Amino acid sequence: MNVLTRGVKNALRSPLRSGAIVLMFAISIALILSMLVARSSVQSKINEVKATAGTNITIRPAGVMGGMGGGDPLTAAQLATIKSTANISSTTLTLTDQLGTDDTELESSQELGAFGQRQMRFETSETTTEGTGAIPAEGATERPAPTPRITVTGTNDANSVSTDGSDLNITSGATIDASSNGLVALVGSTLATKNNLVIGDTFTAYGSTVTVSGIYTTDNAFQDSGIIIPLTTLQTLTEQADVVNSVIATVNSSDNVATAVTSLKTSLGDDADITSDSESAAASVESLESISSLALAGVIGASIAGAAIVLLAMVMVVRERRREIGVMKAVGGTDAKVVGQFTIEGLTLTLIGTVIGIGLGVLVSGPMTTSLVSSQDSSTTTATATQTGPGSRPAGGPGGFSGGIEQINTNLTQVTASLTPQVFATALGLTFLIAIIGSAVPAWLTARVRPAEVLRTE
Amino acid sequence: MLQVTNVSKTFNTPSGPVHALKDVSLTVQTGEFVSIIGKSGSGKSTLLSILGALDTPSEGTITVDETSIEKLSGHAQTKYRGHKIGFVFQQYNLIPNLTAIENVMLALEFGGYPAASREDRAAKLLESVGLDEEQQKRRPTRLSGGQQQRVSIARALANDPAYILADEPTGNLDSATGKKVFDLLHDLSRNQNTTVIVVTHDLEIAGKTDRTFTLIDGKITT
Repeated sequence: MNVLTRGVKNALRSPLRSGAIVLMFAISIALILSMLVARSSVQSKINEVKATAGTNITIRPAGVMGGMGGGDPLTAAQLATIKSTANISSTTLTLTDQLGTDDTELESSQELGAFGQRQMRFETSETTTEGTGAIPAEGATERPAPTPRITVTGTNDANSVSTDGSDLNITSGATIDASSNGLVALVGSTLATKNNLVIGDTFTAYGSTVTVSGIYTTDNAFQDSGIIIPLTTLQTLTEQADVVNSVIATVNSSDNVATAVTSLKTSLGDDADITSDSESAAASVESLESISSLALAGVIGASIAGAAIVLLAMVMVVRERRREIGVMKAVGGTDAKVVGQFTIEGLTLTLIGTVIGIGLGVLVSGPMTTSLVSSQDSSTTTATATQTGPGSRPAGGPGGFSGGIEQINTNLTQVTASLTPQVFATALGLTFLIAIIGSAVPAWLTARVRPAEVLRTE
Repeated sequence: MLQVTNVSKTFNTPSGPVHALKDVSLTVQTGEFVSIIGKSGSGKSTLLSILGALDTPSEGTITVDETSIEKLSGHAQTKYRGHKIGFVFQQYNLIPNLTAIENVMLALEFGGYPAASREDRAAKLLESVGLDEEQQKRRPTRLSGGQQQRVSIARALANDPAYILADEPTGNLDSATGKKVFDLLHDLSRNQNTTVIVVTHDLEIAGKTDRTFTLIDGKITT
């Protein structure tokens, strides 16, 4: 028997106490591992979201609500300011308008729906009754329902209409040269079906004849009932030369997005609403950031608890066995051998606790991460709703990169817990640190035991 | 030869200093069997602790085979205890988690005895003090007081020490068992030329040793 075997044997001399210590330590280790996994997984998701966010900034006239109007369009002077802002490498310009029955013979593919129904009024000579389902008063006359309009988007990049930021899906024909001033159009699939339009067909808009160049489809019913034409063409047809109601500015580096936003807010002042997708992404991942912080606090707390468990257990052992330590020293045991034996006892308990704790941690880290993320689900949903509220275009409006942000928000709670080698190494490192801290003080106490004092007093 | 010269020991306690030993001087020749007697609190155990380098004197010197042990470093004192001294305690002080033979092997390990032959050596020592093979495998709690003291003596002899320091070795034993233990120590002195110093309050035992020192209030009187 030597120091090693004696240390291991002594660690297990009291199965009940050793079991309790090992169990408490294992729970700490499991908690450390779970929190590390949660933090690592959430951090990966945050990085992924931020990386996906890209470098786009959206500038709209203050108060504009997509195709619903509001606000004054951005002028040529403002566009020049935007384009000359430092670090902005390119701009995508968009002007939207509504085609009414006086402007075109095309019939909208949009149904009036419940919202449209609310526009109906039943009028009498004395009172007005509002709302769907209301029973019209005797003698009331039904006002004609409004005819849905067709949204026309003029842009210098047809792909900017795509809802998810990818290239527009042209199902037939070819895309248009958005930088031209030609009387050509891309027609949404449902609008084309409604009006039996095929490639090469023409239709009237604002008194001019426009040729169908291609038919596109998106994952958005509103978009699929619209028309896309070159920006200059729409500006000419609607007599709004050089103005737009949306600009997507691309910044040369993600590091410069915040600076560019600040510059634009300074130069455009209150005349424009400015949002960046990185800002939106940052807002979206706020809940994940709080989970990450919570997990870090968990790691620190569990580490302290683990160290305290080993420390207190070993201090208790040393105090209980002071006489034994004194006897060992009296019969020739050097400090190194006696301290070594007690350190091995501590390390044995730590090692067993670590093995059990890591096994336990592997089992619970997935559910714990899911639980942590789910607990933040409601706040994330709230954040998502905020992102699509004021300052952003309404659902059904022209797409652009906000579709990408919505996609991010949708996937925000889909965090996959994974135990990476790095996390595993960190957990082992922390455990080693805990074992050292937990054993150092008892070792110091052991070394201080004077055999004469022990043998005299006990 | 063991020589104690003008040794004093003072303990600082909350109620003030306690002078356990006052200017003690004595000499013990190699192979002698001596006893130190005195009442409880007279300083017997303190003197034994100082002789065994378990404690250091406040003043004076202890020379053992021409080495002043009070000047040794802590590590050197531990080595001194492991090689030159064998302790026998009144309370036996065996390690409870180890068997009788493992307790003896522990002393052999600390004394630097080769690992391969420790078990044989321990078994022979235990046999020599009267413990059979089955008893050697028992833990202390499963041995009688006399058997535990025999294990303690075997452990003290493990590294062939020149000095055996025994603190009330028969104090917890009945008279018959106490006599056997005393005879064992006596044989060591006679047959192996080991110097044995026994602290006791039993005058009958003291009367059978070569010389007796009496401690009264920390002073040697005879």
